[in-house]
Amino acid sequence: MAHILYIEDEEEIGRWVTEDLTGRGHNVTWLTSGNQLEQYLNDIDLAILDIMLPGLDGFSIGKRIKKVNQDTPIVMLSARSAVEDKLEGLSFADDYVTKPFHPDELAARVDALLRRFQKGEDSMEIGHLQIDTKSSVIINKHTGGEILLTGKQYQLFQYFLRHLNQILTKEQLYEGVWGERFMEGDKTLMVHIRYLREKIEENPAKPTIIETIRGIGYRVKQ
Amino acid sequence: MKRFFHSLLAKYVLIIIIALFILYAAYLAIIIIFFNLMGDRDSSGGQEGYEEIEENWHQEASQITSKNDINPLFEEWQEVYPNASMFWVDGDGTLNLQSNLQENLPDEWDATYTAQFLKNHYDEDPFTVVAFVGEREEEGFIVFQLPRDMLKSDGQKLNDEYGWAIIILTIGVVILFIFLSLWFFRGIRKRLVRLEEAMEIRDTDGLPILIEEKKQDEIGDLEKSFNRMVQELRESREREQEEEQLRKELIANLSHDLRTPLTKINAQAYTLQKMDLPTEAKRSLKLTSASIEDVDKLIENLMSYTLLMASKYKKDLKEIDMARFLRQYLAAWYPVFEKEIFEVDIDIEAFEQNKWKIDPLWFSRILDNLLQNVLRHAADGKYIAVGTESTEQHDAIVVTDKGKGMKVDTEQKGAGIGLSIVDMMVKGMRLDWDMDSTEKGTTIKIIRMKRVEG
Repeated sequence: MAHILYIEDEEEIGRWVTEDLTGRGHNVTWLTSGNQLEQYLNDIDLAILDIMLPGLDGFSIGKRIKKVNQDTPIVMLSARSAVEDKLEGLSFADDYVTKPFHPDELAARVDALLRRFQKGEDSMEIGHLQIDTKSSVIINKHTGGEILLTGKQYQLFQYFLRHLNQILTKEQLYEGVWGERFMEGDKTLMVHIRYLREKIEENPAKPTIIETIRGIGYRVKQ
Repeated sequence: MKRFFHSLLAKYVLIIIIALFILYAAYLAIIIIFFNLMGDRDSSGGQEGYEEIEENWHQEASQITSKNDINPLFEEWQEVYPNASMFWVDGDGTLNLQSNLQENLPDEWDATYTAQFLKNHYDEDPFTVVAFVGEREEEGFIVFQLPRDMLKSDGQKLNDEYGWAIIILTIGVVILFIFLSLWFFRGIRKRLVRLEEAMEIRDTDGLPILIEEKKQDEIGDLEKSFNRMVQELRESREREQEEEQLRKELIANLSHDLRTPLTKINAQAYTLQKMDLPTEAKRSLKLTSASIEDVDKLIENLMSYTLLMASKYKKDLKEIDMARFLRQYLAAWYPVFEKEIFEVDIDIEAFEQNKWKIDPLWFSRILDNLLQNVLRHAADGKYIAVGTESTEQHDAIVVTDKGKGMKVDTEQKGAGIGLSIVDMMVKGMRLDWDMDSTEKGTTIKIIRMKRVEG
């Protein structure tokens, strides 16, 4: 359960989003302006900010939050959709969602950010796997045995978990895990994914944990 | 009047006046000297000087009564003309007496030699006067010789000695005038060149910078009006930017103000949908949600269209790895099609020249519109393919669906503006596009022509 600071001056929208996110298990503090911002600054996991607010605008609030704590993910949620607004927003924020939006989409983006900033749950279940992210232990629920991964395999799997439900391209995976630019035709990643599948999939020939998205890349879906 | 004295014209007139003054002053000086010479000539020297000497010599010679008078005469004349030579040839033809003689003369003079001597010295240098001694002309003759130089007047001597100085002085004055003129024009030229260079310099906003106004002359006026022009340009640019900013603000605010109520309707619809409602009501709510989404996209397209038409849509062209860009882009869209149970066929190969010079946001927007159209208007086909194609002439990104085709569907008015934006953006990045729509599906290609080599 994450503590989300949500700043929105529109009553209807504010209430709706707060209810929805609370319903999804988050602890939401909803403010209608940035006035009482200071008292929450140090104990929030994520912030959702509208831009057009009375007093300080969302950009200023966002920059202030990032200044206090660089590791607090920020989602801008605004009806302003101009390129300039998006560019300014994304210069410090981590995501930009335009209104009107579907609450599922907002929730998905919030979850993705929480995972990326490692503020999500300590343990999760994916298929037949029980994963404790804190202690790095992966248990096969069917056999009860622990799955031991090598360093690179674990880093790769960890990268998938941090980007759960997102499709990752070969380039993103390779550059995210190896920290080097991906060269077209490099087989390293494929080899490591094959080894990883051999360890975590029940049937590596028909993988269910690490999905192949043909033509794009791979995805681990919860 | 004060302005006139500051002007270049006044300065040049001054230079001309000074030059003329010096020139005329010089001529005046020459004329004065010349008049002096004339005066000198009246008193001594010149033709009249010779005649006077000749006359005196003859007179003195005729007054000689004895041989003894000759020597004192010579001494007396020698004093007056120290450079003169004198001699006496007596009645016997003997060179008797001589004073300061320069020539080699024979001691004995016969008639032939005398005639020869007279012939040789007539009207020659030295000036020679021959006079018979006494009244009776029996005592021979006395000769007076004086180098002609000695008889020149002071003016003539001055002229001989300093004539070159006058010529040099005249040339000097002319050169001085030319130099002053050149110096004057060089100054003007230098300032003009500097002005031109200053006019060439551009500020960060592409406008010329203000230049320093130095003098209050014609060039100074030019500098002033240039600065005024720059100022006006700057003001007009600022006004334009302000207007542009206002326009953008207006559009952004309008978009915001339209979307906020849409979001509220969406919120209500969503909340209602969660309630236990009859199927009919749920269906109706779903349609409401879909319509909200359509209106949202329309607003977005309308705003973009307005900005694009006014060339105010931010564009930032960059070299982009196309295959990588497409994969990353499609990774975000894949789940949308997946949710609608589309068959998604993605086949992206890196192009031979894989770097495309595009604005990634523009390109995303183009693809957004194309995929949006597939989702809205070709959903029946349940199929989407995005691939790459390379021929000899072009590289292309191909989006294919199996919908009923663009022309058949009447409910796709929204696609019109979406495709207009695609058209403007594609052309704005110097690319091409092509659409082939039949009842069995639509294929849209975004084409980059290959440069013809050789």
